[in-house]
Amino acid sequence: MPAVIELEDLTLKLGPRTILDRLNGQLSGHCIGLLGPNGSGKSTLINTLLGFYRPAAGRVRIFGQDVQEHRRQLLGQIGYMPETDAFIADMTGVRFVRYMAEISGLPAREAMERAHEAFFYVGLGEARYRKVGTYSLGMKQLAKLAQAVAHGPRLLLLDEPTNGLDPQARTRMLELVREIRDTSEVHVLISSHLLHDIEECCDQVLILKEGHIAAICNLEEERRANLKFLELEVTHENGFLDAIRTLGCECASFGGGRLKIVLPEKIELRQIYQLAAEHTAQIRRMNYRRDSLEDIFLKAMAGTPPPPMPREGANGRL
Amino acid sequence: MAVYKRTYKAYAGQLTPSWSRFTVLARYGFSTLFSSRIFTAYTVLCFTPFLVGLGFIYFVHSSTAQLAFGQHLSSIPLINGRWFFGFLVSEAWMGLILTAWAAPGMISKDFANNAVQLYLSRPLSRVEYLVGKVTVLAVLLSFVTWIPMLVLFFLQAELEGHGWLGENWWMAGSIVLAGLMWIALISLLSMALAVWVKWRIAASALMLAFFFVLPGFGEAFSAILRTPWGSLLNFNAVILMIWAQLFRIPLSQRHFTRFGELPSWSPWLSVFAVCAISLWLLHRRLKAREVERG
Repeated sequence: MPAVIELEDLTLKLGPRTILDRLNGQLSGHCIGLLGPNGSGKSTLINTLLGFYRPAAGRVRIFGQDVQEHRRQLLGQIGYMPETDAFIADMTGVRFVRYMAEISGLPAREAMERAHEAFFYVGLGEARYRKVGTYSLGMKQLAKLAQAVAHGPRLLLLDEPTNGLDPQARTRMLELVREIRDTSEVHVLISSHLLHDIEECCDQVLILKEGHIAAICNLEEERRANLKFLELEVTHENGFLDAIRTLGCECASFGGGRLKIVLPEKIELRQIYQLAAEHTAQIRRMNYRRDSLEDIFLKAMAGTPPPPMPREGANGRL
Repeated sequence: MAVYKRTYKAYAGQLTPSWSRFTVLARYGFSTLFSSRIFTAYTVLCFTPFLVGLGFIYFVHSSTAQLAFGQHLSSIPLINGRWFFGFLVSEAWMGLILTAWAAPGMISKDFANNAVQLYLSRPLSRVEYLVGKVTVLAVLLSFVTWIPMLVLFFLQAELEGHGWLGENWWMAGSIVLAGLMWIALISLLSMALAVWVKWRIAASALMLAFFFVLPGFGEAFSAILRTPWGSLLNFNAVILMIWAQLFRIPLSQRHFTRFGELPSWSPWLSVFAVCAISLWLLHRRLKAREVERG
């Protein structure tokens, strides 16, 4: 897949401080996560992608074009949802989004049409004639998303899109991001310090630490590579362990029926169930242990692999 | 992205020309301003001097009207540079109130909730943003200052005849120059103040204080230090001096302040300095992102 964003020795200084320090890398995922602790340079990188800051050295390319040289052309293809409040309080929601779409270059009629559609799309259809200043925090976040997508960008930059949202609104926001990602017409870059948000949506992650790239990883590959770790708790083992070994699995027993298994590529979970049935072993608990984003993030932050932790979300109880 | 489908779809239609994006800001600016009935009523009121001027020119050239009002031509003031100067003064101060009302609202609303970053994350430069906003003021102020004056000027030329236009052609240039100078000054100043304080009411108050409070300081400065240079802070007088020069009002009739003691270029320098400082402020503060240095 061609690179969406290319960083080439990108260095950014604000006053005497170096905020981004010689960033190199290519990001080609459909949904790219930008992770890092507060102050690591995530928002600054997004601002640099938008051309708000001029790099001290190096360059950034989006869709193969230099951001500084082709800024105007690129901005027409980008939708931006800022982290902070950003709206015109005394405009109605639909007028605000229409206004922004027109500035992006849509003719008035098309802008009006798409503003309405964008509001329905983000789920604010009923509130589109209310003034933006009267919206709740969650509604303002959705209105910001509406203005970012209304002109139909090819790249969507979302800076902390779930900030300040309650669980329900957060789930809705992440659903929308996934829907947008799955249309395959647009690439999404999400900046967040919430691992869960990134893990839910992204297929590639750039981890920043103090202005440096700590890691770039393809989450899809990581998921595939680590899907085959199993933690089992069984009763009445009855030779189940030996049978698993005959399948070619690496297997370790920790007593009390607790087993850890590394499944080879060709072995499927179904075969484990079949063996358990054949040996009348009861599987009481099963964990998919995969290298979670949290593990990857902690490794990147500390430079050392963290101790394995069970993943709640992948638990399977039988 | 049809409503019934509610799925995301990229836009593949025609785009407006890149150069025309600033006109969107101007269009929405007008629409927002004239959605206020009070503002619309005040704008209409700004045309009162024009209507009065129109009536006066007709009166001067209509013996029937003069007879009806029992006036004789010799007792009616001449329509000359002095007359147009007085007309411009009345129009300009109405325009000042209009600007103090309109400009801060247009800008400070964008700053109050960080909307500037949304403008500048689109194919729109800072200059275009500013041009879009200034266009609203420039068009409004043009229609209440130099455009009606030019209409009156050509009406007077037409009715007067006998080579009046040939003798007074310079006045057309003076009208346009005086109007544009005034528009540039108050537009840039109001924008800069709005960007600086980011609060509509405070920006409007500062704008009026600039013309009604600062002169007091300037004249006090002059009186205490016994120098005429403090008059350069009296922008009422500065503007009147420039217009007096443009409309060729004799020195003996210029009683605005102690400008007689200052070189004739000094009021121009004062206006130029305010415009330059305003542009500098706009350059410094009109940004998508505030950068904290240090």
